[in-house]
Amino acid sequence: MNRSVRQGVSMRRLILSITVAALALVPLRAAQAGPIIDWDPAFFYEQDATPYNSVPGHELFIVGIISVFGPPLDFLNASDPTKDYTFYLHGLISNGTAVSSFPPFGNFFTTTYNGGVIEIYEGTPRDAVFDPFPPNANVPSTFTNGTLILSGTMVSFYWQSNDFSRLNTGNAEGHILWTGGAYFNKVSHNELPCPSLFTGGLTWRPSLMVDGYVFRHQGKLDLDCPTVAKSSTWGRVKTMYR
Amino acid sequence: MRRFATTLLLVAGIAGSVAISPARAQEQVLLDYFGFDFESPIVVPNTFGGVGNGYVGLGEVPLINPPLVADYANFQYSYRITGLTAISRLVNGDFVVVDYGGPGTLTIYEDSKTSGTPLDYGSNPPNATAPSTFIDGTPILIGTLTSFRFIYSTFSGSGSYESDFTIVGGTQLANIPVPQRAGWQFAGVTKNTLSVPDGYAHQVKGEAMIPAPTPTRSSSWGQLKRIYR
Repeated sequence: MNRSVRQGVSMRRLILSITVAALALVPLRAAQAGPIIDWDPAFFYEQDATPYNSVPGHELFIVGIISVFGPPLDFLNASDPTKDYTFYLHGLISNGTAVSSFPPFGNFFTTTYNGGVIEIYEGTPRDAVFDPFPPNANVPSTFTNGTLILSGTMVSFYWQSNDFSRLNTGNAEGHILWTGGAYFNKVSHNELPCPSLFTGGLTWRPSLMVDGYVFRHQGKLDLDCPTVAKSSTWGRVKTMYR
Repeated sequence: MRRFATTLLLVAGIAGSVAISPARAQEQVLLDYFGFDFESPIVVPNTFGGVGNGYVGLGEVPLINPPLVADYANFQYSYRITGLTAISRLVNGDFVVVDYGGPGTLTIYEDSKTSGTPLDYGSNPPNATAPSTFIDGTPILIGTLTSFRFIYSTFSGSGSYESDFTIVGGTQLANIPVPQRAGWQFAGVTKNTLSVPDGYAHQVKGEAMIPAPTPTRSSSWGQLKRIYR
């Protein structure tokens, strides 16, 4: 095999590798249209935080009770009276709150965070409780007792609030990359973790709040596994470049 | 005087029960929903919330709490928000505030899992399956939406909406006591997921709240009279 032929074969292999990689990664649409996890509620707590301000460097914690599982986790029953399914987010370090004036309404408040770890537990008995003024004897402990079924890291988490919505509402979201847990294989695709979006609405309306928490969040997790652009086989792909 | 005071208290109570005023009014979550939204009709193209554009939300209702009754083993539950028209759109930097007129309507439908139609968002709504597959069941709850406001950031691609929610109809209307029919609802919205079908604007995750029942404590005539003797 002379030099030019070897270069041609190498080039074909290179193109093939790039193409297969591209086919494997092109995200046309998420494999799941609905949420894999839905919760109602979760509560946020952070030292010295208010719905309008977060101190740079302070850590945000979130505890939540899962109410519904969707595919591929729909073999779990969130209503099982003998168990609770809970999650605990920690390690979210505040970058402080940016204030954006919006006359004549008022102000928007946006707080971004660095880092973050999410842990989802299956516990027995059903004992998770949002006791006031966390951390305390039951928070976060009743949200972390049990089997760790999923864990992951949070990226680009933020919340948005304002001082003019009549019903005290905003939103929060961040991206999760799953890294472990008993059901990690359920949220991975071709042995690679699928990203998830943590998203939903926030409220700080007093009638729904528990003392000592900053926000009440009703949200969900979507599994954004990319799907290939077109089903194929190695043979077919190779044929294209022969 | 004692008798007069006792009589007043007994009249204020209901059938021997005394209402205990909570420290602050409490609310309860009636239902939780998720889905997607789109605009129809579109008066101002390529401008979400353009004045005159209609707002529509479609989706599933995975959680329904008492006093409503749900049977998830045999039925699927869906929702539609409709009847809202943008009347004001203000932009400041990355932030947009859109106010809607109406009133709009939030309707919850119950449809058989065996004989009903599977929910199908399709693409570029309205289309052959959306909203039709979401609204072909029994409307179990109908509520009007007023003071509907949509707030979002074009930078983050996310935001929220909120409105008053007054329950006015549906086959389960009688399950909701009259004092609990004036509630509210809100949602988080985002574009930051691959799951948004083509032609839809945002993914939506919302919930509706109603006032909690007034707490009561059982008592007897004798116990009441003793307080004032």
